[in-house]
Amino acid sequence: MKSEGPPLDSLTRRLAETPGIFLAEPIIRKRGKVDLAAVTSDLLLVIGGELQSPRQAKRFSPANIAQRNQARLALICCWLLYEDWFHQRTPLVEPIILLLSEGLSGLAGIVDAERFVADPERREELVRLVLRHLSLRPAGETANQAADRLKSLDSLERERIIREARAREEEERARKLRAEMKKKRAREAAAKANRE
Amino acid sequence: MGDLGIPASRRERNPLIDEDGWRMLCFIREHSDAPRWNYRVGDRLLAQDLPAVDAFRRRIGEERPRWSAEPPAWLIDWIRSLRERVPLFRQRLPRGFDLCRDWAYLPTMSREDIAQHIERLVPTDADLSRLIVYETNGTSTCHALDVPNHPSCVARNHPLLEYALARHGVLPRFSNRHVACINVGAEARTVMFPSVFAVWNNAGFAKINLHTASWKPDRARRFFQALGPEFLTGDPVAFGELARWGIDYRPKALVSTAASLSVALKRQLEATYGCPVVDYYSTTETGPIAYSSPDGQGYSQLAPDIHLEILDEDGFPVAPGELGEIAVSGGRNPYLPLLRYRTGDFARLQPAGTQSDPAPRLLDLHARQPVLFRAVTGAPVHPLDIGYVLRTQLWVQHELLQRADGSLRLSIRPGLGQSIDRPALREGLLQLFGELEIEIVERPDLGEDRPGGKVIAYRSELSPV
Repeated sequence: MKSEGPPLDSLTRRLAETPGIFLAEPIIRKRGKVDLAAVTSDLLLVIGGELQSPRQAKRFSPANIAQRNQARLALICCWLLYEDWFHQRTPLVEPIILLLSEGLSGLAGIVDAERFVADPERREELVRLVLRHLSLRPAGETANQAADRLKSLDSLERERIIREARAREEEERARKLRAEMKKKRAREAAAKANRE
Repeated sequence: MGDLGIPASRRERNPLIDEDGWRMLCFIREHSDAPRWNYRVGDRLLAQDLPAVDAFRRRIGEERPRWSAEPPAWLIDWIRSLRERVPLFRQRLPRGFDLCRDWAYLPTMSREDIAQHIERLVPTDADLSRLIVYETNGTSTCHALDVPNHPSCVARNHPLLEYALARHGVLPRFSNRHVACINVGAEARTVMFPSVFAVWNNAGFAKINLHTASWKPDRARRFFQALGPEFLTGDPVAFGELARWGIDYRPKALVSTAASLSVALKRQLEATYGCPVVDYYSTTETGPIAYSSPDGQGYSQLAPDIHLEILDEDGFPVAPGELGEIAVSGGRNPYLPLLRYRTGDFARLQPAGTQSDPAPRLLDLHARQPVLFRAVTGAPVHPLDIGYVLRTQLWVQHELLQRADGSLRLSIRPGLGQSIDRPALREGLLQLFGELEIEIVERPDLGEDRPGGKVIAYRSELSPV
């Protein structure tokens, strides 16, 4: 978080006011309303990047339904990054490309995209995450303050801790289940009146 | 032996068996024309299970399923209640996922989820003490699959069957002085056993096999007459054999399961046996789904605790009336909660039935098409038996084709780094089919040129049944 970015409040407020079109369904396999690749290409021009070729822009398009939440989150991030402060900040183009093409998959796997608009804590988390990704810190904060605050909000970190806590228990349970199924498979089940 | 002379081993298998039930079981088991029983099994039902079965029976009659484009409220509540306890649900439902609004985007479940990650489906707090395991055969798909279940869940299949029979005007007597049902098979290798069912007041039951290696037609004919079962269950191949063996016993109904029944065979069976023939759509993974409507217009949804959808390739519901894959959510198996489970079967959905049963209907059901193979003698060879031979080898996919001249071509894709023991396969198939021309081809690329890599595992130019 080397450089100072825009004030946190302006960005969280912007998220709270995300227009409907940025919350609409991204186009996936001919379904949906918003062409994420087109929106992203346009954003990159505003940031100071070059015009994306169709092949370059394709990396922003969700390939299948499984990438839907990630695409929705990317669309919300696009709205966030249209903020005036980011205009013509050419050094940010590459990190933004990275963020929008592959940087959101972890977060999208655990929290529904709209929570980052509707829930104040998640709004702040997303703003801080995006800024960190761009090596920025909110205006008026030190790098340590920014890092501490993000840590307290970090959904991915929280998920990692929960997963770790569960992992041993679930692994043990899976082992027991497999053993039980193996044992019961060798035994008779229960009579049925018909085959299925 | 217990007070009533019932062995402890039988009490373990049928904890609720009574004296008359035991007599009934002995009558079936010891009948002079009985087949060579090769298995022992009971319903494993406990007294504590019965109230739930009775409540379910009442619910089936009172609460007919109503279709809605949106997932019903009970289903949403059920999924929410399971989210934290079912790892797969947790993984597929990001925090804050709007189940009502975004239902169509919820990833579908498939056979692979059960085959590869069953531990992610069984709720973390499930009591495993009464877990039982069924192996499905993979007749029309590929691999066999282990499916966990619970005796009280299996018992709830009975009132569903009763409902389907009642809709066809059949009200069987369920008492410990009658045989309720004979389940008919026609396979080279299968289990045969007598039993009683507590949910049917310890009425008698027998699973038999119409195969000359284990039984003779004249004895089978006498056995059916002596037992006088109220109705028969079986698959289309088995019912075809029933007629071929000249078993002229007239039950109150035939219930065809496991593979779809052709209209021609249904009519033939109705004419031969003079009773309703109910086609029953059920899978091991989902339990009973639908029964053939008495008016001949498709299949009515049976259980009120499942939600049916017809999906396109991407998992989106198709418009009512369009053909798509049947997906099931909900169910009653405590070890296998279903979340948009793709059955691999196809149909069109008619949202509502008739006044007498308003449940939604499945039209043009394409479910597990029966494939008839014939041995050189003309006797049928069941795909299940072929499955047993194939299971001796490690393979990824296979296609078995029987041509009109009877010759066989087996294309098989071996497991990675494996090779197929052709002589062993040939020997196994020769034992089933007799001296037919058999070609075995190893094809490491089998299926790669098909959408989704899917192949048709069994095909016969001698089909349909």
